[in-house]
Amino acid sequence: MRTDVLIIGGGATGAGIARDLALRGVNCLLLEMGDFCHGASGGNHGLLHSGGRYAVKDPTSASECALENAVLRSIAPFCIEDTGGLFVSLPEDDPSFADTFIGSCRSADVPLEELTAREALRSEPELISSVTRCLKVDDGSIDPFSLVQANVDDARSAGARVLNHCAVTGMTVEKGMVVEVKVRDRRGGVPSTMVPDIVVNAAGAWVDEVAKLAGCRVPMGLDQGSMLVMDGRQCRHVVNRLRPPSNGDIVVPNHTSTVLGTTSRPAGAPDDVAVSGEDVDLLIRETAAMMPSLRARRAIRTYGGVRPLLSGGGREASRSFAMLNDERAGNLLSVAGGKLTTYRLMAEKVSDRVCGMLGNRSECRTHREPLGPPAEGKGDSIPAARLVRKYGSLASSVDTTDTRVVCSCEQVLRSEVTAVLKAGDALTLADVMRRTRAGMGYCQGFDCSMSVLEIMVEQNGADPVSSLSEFLGERERGLGQASGDQLRQEMLRRHVLIGVYGLGDRE
Amino acid sequence: MSHALVVGKGAAGTFSSWLLAKRGWEVTLVGRGTPSTALSTGCLRSVPNLCRAAISEFLNNESMPWASGEREGISRIGTSYRCWMSPAHSTWKQGETPKSIAVVGLDGHPSLLPRVASALLNGRKIRAAPFTLAGQVPSEVPLASSFRKDEAWEDLAEELQKMSVETILIPSLVTLQDYHRLDQLEGRCGRDVLEAITPLGSPGQRLADLMLSKAGEAGVTIWDGRKVTALDVKDDVVVGATVVGGMDARHLSVDAVILATGGPLVDGLVLKEREVSDPFGKFRVVRSAAPLTGGYDSLEGMLVNTEGRAMVNVAGAGDCLSSGSREYGSGLTEALESAYRAVRALEGT
Repeated sequence: MRTDVLIIGGGATGAGIARDLALRGVNCLLLEMGDFCHGASGGNHGLLHSGGRYAVKDPTSASECALENAVLRSIAPFCIEDTGGLFVSLPEDDPSFADTFIGSCRSADVPLEELTAREALRSEPELISSVTRCLKVDDGSIDPFSLVQANVDDARSAGARVLNHCAVTGMTVEKGMVVEVKVRDRRGGVPSTMVPDIVVNAAGAWVDEVAKLAGCRVPMGLDQGSMLVMDGRQCRHVVNRLRPPSNGDIVVPNHTSTVLGTTSRPAGAPDDVAVSGEDVDLLIRETAAMMPSLRARRAIRTYGGVRPLLSGGGREASRSFAMLNDERAGNLLSVAGGKLTTYRLMAEKVSDRVCGMLGNRSECRTHREPLGPPAEGKGDSIPAARLVRKYGSLASSVDTTDTRVVCSCEQVLRSEVTAVLKAGDALTLADVMRRTRAGMGYCQGFDCSMSVLEIMVEQNGADPVSSLSEFLGERERGLGQASGDQLRQEMLRRHVLIGVYGLGDRE
Repeated sequence: MSHALVVGKGAAGTFSSWLLAKRGWEVTLVGRGTPSTALSTGCLRSVPNLCRAAISEFLNNESMPWASGEREGISRIGTSYRCWMSPAHSTWKQGETPKSIAVVGLDGHPSLLPRVASALLNGRKIRAAPFTLAGQVPSEVPLASSFRKDEAWEDLAEELQKMSVETILIPSLVTLQDYHRLDQLEGRCGRDVLEAITPLGSPGQRLADLMLSKAGEAGVTIWDGRKVTALDVKDDVVVGATVVGGMDARHLSVDAVILATGGPLVDGLVLKEREVSDPFGKFRVVRSAAPLTGGYDSLEGMLVNTEGRAMVNVAGAGDCLSSGSREYGSGLTEALESAYRAVRALEGT
């Protein structure tokens, strides 16, 4: 199959590039080896940065975040919750840091407003009462699954082809150019050889592995971060610790849960996402210093992500990004670094470069045009708002007259699952979960997975055992550190799945 | 007559109460909440090596006959379920696998997943086809309550008659009182009726109901919905207990106690983070890296106090006991056997 531009990687960056190029009239094809958001795009806290976090150490990233924050709010309001963010200082923190922070935010154009301790406690009652300073910024929470899916959908309607579950397995390089890309498709039926003019390597943590297929190298500083999901919304704002970026200083309320983050350690491989018990203890200890009530709350699960940082890695590494290519494969452009909040800007810069190579002189439109047609509301009810948040403009395709619920934790309607399966990208139970949230609640898909599977077998003829084992294996990885009530839930789950159904024991 | 207090109304508590009552004790059974027996599949997975005859007598019930031996059934998602003893309509004798099965689900209710189960059965070379009966049952209504009326059963029999198969797999629908309806259904539709093996549903509740009623028939005084909040201990002997129910608190003088309060899953043992502990603060708990296997320490059937001495008149039974190798799904048989051992230990005193 021929294409002008082949984009590898269906995270925010790759999907953003596909959309950008398609809007400029460029013929392009995006391939993702797993589901969209397979890597760091799905393994982050879902924080829409104001820029505050990077203001002191990395002012360029901070300014980029501040600008992109405003852009995303205007083009993709459906997947963003305008929670606002607080940076809070505690008595044990360096008192001079707050002033440094204010100065840095001002010079990086990150809007902020100082609250008195009393105002802070009034607007965020769970904060510890000894809070000394509190700065309010434009942080928000964002649903990366919904954001990336909207980019994919919009890219498609502008003419791009996008395939998930399609892995690149090899490249043929002739005279310093990639001439052929070999592909393995989980669905079958797609030609296994692609012939591109330009290859954009936006594989995130896998960027070096993809570059190697063409004989190139992209030195990366892969860095693992752990997150802990708490049941329910534990705060109104994103709550940050007012200190130099460190471990366990972010609390993000999102959908029906609250995410505590994050940690940092070198990752051995792009899929080295394992979360240790020490990480869990650290996250609770550090975030509870700001919000003591978090200690008593129920932790549902852990998850990890691998940050595709530029070489060096760690907390000190720049959150900025780079485009690399070399003479060994002149038409392979690798993108490394960056972050979710600035994905669109990265996509714009990469697309500018690609268009330069193609001689296309169209201008970027992604910062002006909304991501998809405006969401059609079905009233202001909470269920309607939730549908819009998850599906954007596709919310109207969900039949809300059918009130049957498949996932009682997340109140997911049967017709949501049907609509998602009809759209075609969801092949597995986990794919359905990322789109509908069925299985993300405190029971972790214990029972709804069976009901969703029944619908999948009905509609797609999916193979139930492999789909179920894959899904339950994925959920189980997040439950290794379960404790308290969640551990009781996990014991019940294991009794039923292993003891009664005989799953998980099979060879 | 000696007075025994049994705490917990699951399999271990009811069976030990029943055994004690048969042996001439005056027994008070105090229980609350949902025991894990009621969450189970209502079948005995592993073969009891102890007291098989007593178990059979205890579980014997006119309206719900049992089948025992090497049995096999089908879980609600279509996987194979093997056990030693089950209600007659739950399993077949191993080796006598049905040739063809109609897997009948009810629209809108997730209790039996006809398509998933059929796909899994076909994968195991058992010819199966899914059917979904219309007439929506809202998923939040327990199936059993939708099938209280005769008309619902008439309609079901009529639908099932049309199917040209040997065996019909249906969701678990019936309560203990209604179990005879499965025989009637089999007679009406002329096919073998097989009930899907279902946890967290009516089969477990049936078993829990049956056990509690057998204890009552044997003369056990049952205080349901009450909680033992404190035990009075003098020189390693429990002499009394405080039982609370609502506003009412009573003190009870006792000669012996069996704790059959269940594991951390049902709050019999306190679970904090990943550690289990004794809610009474009197007995030693064996901690283990796997919280599933932690529980009360025991010495020749008697619980061990926090100083490490065996209690004189307190035995433990069921999931609240520490168990080195508790296998998933074997809890019921173990609970019954440990209840038997607890009674023997008390009789020895």
